[in-house]
Amino acid sequence: MMCYNGGMIDERTLMILTESAKYDVSCSSSGSGRKNEGGIGNGYASGCCHSFTPDGRCISLLKILLSNDCIYNCKYCLNRRDNDLPRATATADDICGLVMDFYKRNYIEGLFLSSAVHISPDYTMEQLFLVAKKLRTEYNFHGYIHVKGIPHASMETVQKTALYADRMSFNIELPSESSLKLLAPQKDRQSLLVPMAQLQRDKEIFKAEKRKGHFIPAGQTTQMIVGASPEKDGTILRLSQGLYRKKGLKRVYYSSYVPVVHDSLLPEVAGGALREHRLYQADWLLRFYGFDAEELLPADGDLPTEFDPKCAWALAHMELFPVEINRAPLETLLRVPGIGARGAQRICNARWYTKLTFEHLKKMRIVLKRARHFITVGGKFYGAAETAVRGLLSAEESRANATQLSLFSMNEIALSALTGEL
Amino acid sequence: MIYFYDGTQEAFLTALTLSFHDGEPFLTSGNKQLVLGQETAFVRADPEKAKRVEKRLLSFDKDCMHDLDTLLRSGDANKDNVALVYFRLIAEKKRPVRTMLGEDAALAADECIRRVGFEVHRFHGFVRFLQSASGALYAPISPDNDICDLLVPHFRARLPQYPFVIHDVKRKKAAVYDGEHTFPAPLEEAEIVLSANEEKWQKLWIRYYDSVNIPSRERLRQMRGYMPVRYWKFMPEKTRPFTDGEEGGGAPFPPS
Ligand code: SF4
Repeated sequence: MMCYNGGMIDERTLMILTESAKYDVSCSSSGSGRKNEGGIGNGYASGCCHSFTPDGRCISLLKILLSNDCIYNCKYCLNRRDNDLPRATATADDICGLVMDFYKRNYIEGLFLSSAVHISPDYTMEQLFLVAKKLRTEYNFHGYIHVKGIPHASMETVQKTALYADRMSFNIELPSESSLKLLAPQKDRQSLLVPMAQLQRDKEIFKAEKRKGHFIPAGQTTQMIVGASPEKDGTILRLSQGLYRKKGLKRVYYSSYVPVVHDSLLPEVAGGALREHRLYQADWLLRFYGFDAEELLPADGDLPTEFDPKCAWALAHMELFPVEINRAPLETLLRVPGIGARGAQRICNARWYTKLTFEHLKKMRIVLKRARHFITVGGKFYGAAETAVRGLLSAEESRANATQLSLFSMNEIALSALTGEL
Repeated sequence: MIYFYDGTQEAFLTALTLSFHDGEPFLTSGNKQLVLGQETAFVRADPEKAKRVEKRLLSFDKDCMHDLDTLLRSGDANKDNVALVYFRLIAEKKRPVRTMLGEDAALAADECIRRVGFEVHRFHGFVRFLQSASGALYAPISPDNDICDLLVPHFRARLPQYPFVIHDVKRKKAAVYDGEHTFPAPLEEAEIVLSANEEKWQKLWIRYYDSVNIPSRERLRQMRGYMPVRYWKFMPEKTRPFTDGEEGGGAPFPPS
């Protein structure tokens, strides 16, 4: 049996450091195939949800701050220096012990460690590094580790952390430089983008030189708060597209603004869950459905609320529809509202053997409520007249919204369930 | 003809060979009510017949026995017949039919197989181990499908130093890893002496679960959709042991 001398964190510290971390939306444990090298734990490439909280979110990783005692004063943040709230700082062994015993009981897939800027950026980053290193080398832990990058910390510390972490993330926080300046005065764009780009270059070199070990095998992600500042969806999605295509990011998370502190610069109301939902839908289209942000909306526009972005796009391009289910190439099927990635693939497989009928599609559980207006099956059209489609879809959408809101902010299970829906 | 069999692969394959001469066979391992006037047959495994047909089937689809194993684990009351119809289709087409989703038989099998696979994936997350005083881990589960041994490789790879038992309390069987080997075992009830710290860790986990939730965004329907209530029975965050009187309290845990 393996021995380690992890301490046991006290309940109060655990609760404070969790409360302070919980608004971070990224929790995914996917993308790492790390092997167990004689200790405990390994990666689960597709990610894994261990529990779900009453807010409908997945618990995959132990999401916790090392400290919530911040020297910065970002206006939107609960942990800002000027906010009166209980403070706590954990030791590296507190965190390691927690990870080991939670992991062993299969409560979690690993650790998502972040921190407020405690004492200084360098000091904080160094502490995060120590936890990751300790977990890997002393505790012999090979499960998932996601470490948040601290802006303005020494690049060297960031780089050595990447040797132990599966994923790292520098949060963009806000969709524009000017909003960042206004709301997070001690941070600046460069302190986030420069280390992000550096890590990406390092990772490529690491791969190219086939070096031993790991260098953030699950890549980088980032997160931005939506609704605390005036940027439009068009700007946000172009930013995301750039991050995916130029910086090689794995995921961009959108976190609808929750007013946890009062400030004259901030809205008093929470950003809508519907907006967050639409952004995740559009983000999905950018990554898996071959869409460009430019096709979906202008830079100064917002995503429509009454239709999902794919539906809205299709309605604006009725001249391209209907398409024939038995002939349309995969890329085209992917653009049909209601047909998801899995559905499109299943259609392509099945039609290889037989000419598909409307009955076939129903039995294959292809969701036809929206799709039927945009397809023909064996030459036959089953939809409504073009003039009526808009109204029907919009009514359909508002019914669906009542139950589906923000599924997209969820983790793996939700996402895989949804690929059939969009 | 209605064929009854014992649910084993061998008897299934035997029934399959018999069904080839039958226009409308129906296969079941359950105690389906006999319908008066319907012909029935009780099929006993014939190892030779089974081997022969297996060989033939494998020549059509080298992965089909894996499908059979999965189908027979399904908790679906109709699984035996779903499997029968699927394998008759393989025999008819003389090729893999997995993606021929225009065929009802392939579609039904596909869904059945997918549900079993999905439950295995879910249980990779939903299994909850208790640590015993000896250090060994014990997880009671009550899945829809007969999957407890399918969960072993996953946990064995992660926790090679920890002997563990995954106990399907519904089917009264367990998959055991003794630190070296894996084997199945019948198991009615287990008596576990918990490790000294087990209670504290469970409490910390419950604290964590409560703290990480955002109450102002309650979406209970979603929670239940992703983590159906029938799976909560052995999850401390839902049964809330050792936290008497607190909100969310439920049945005492672990179950006696
Ligand atoms: S740096 Fe800003 S966002 Fe981060 S914890 Fe401190 S105040 Fe909050």
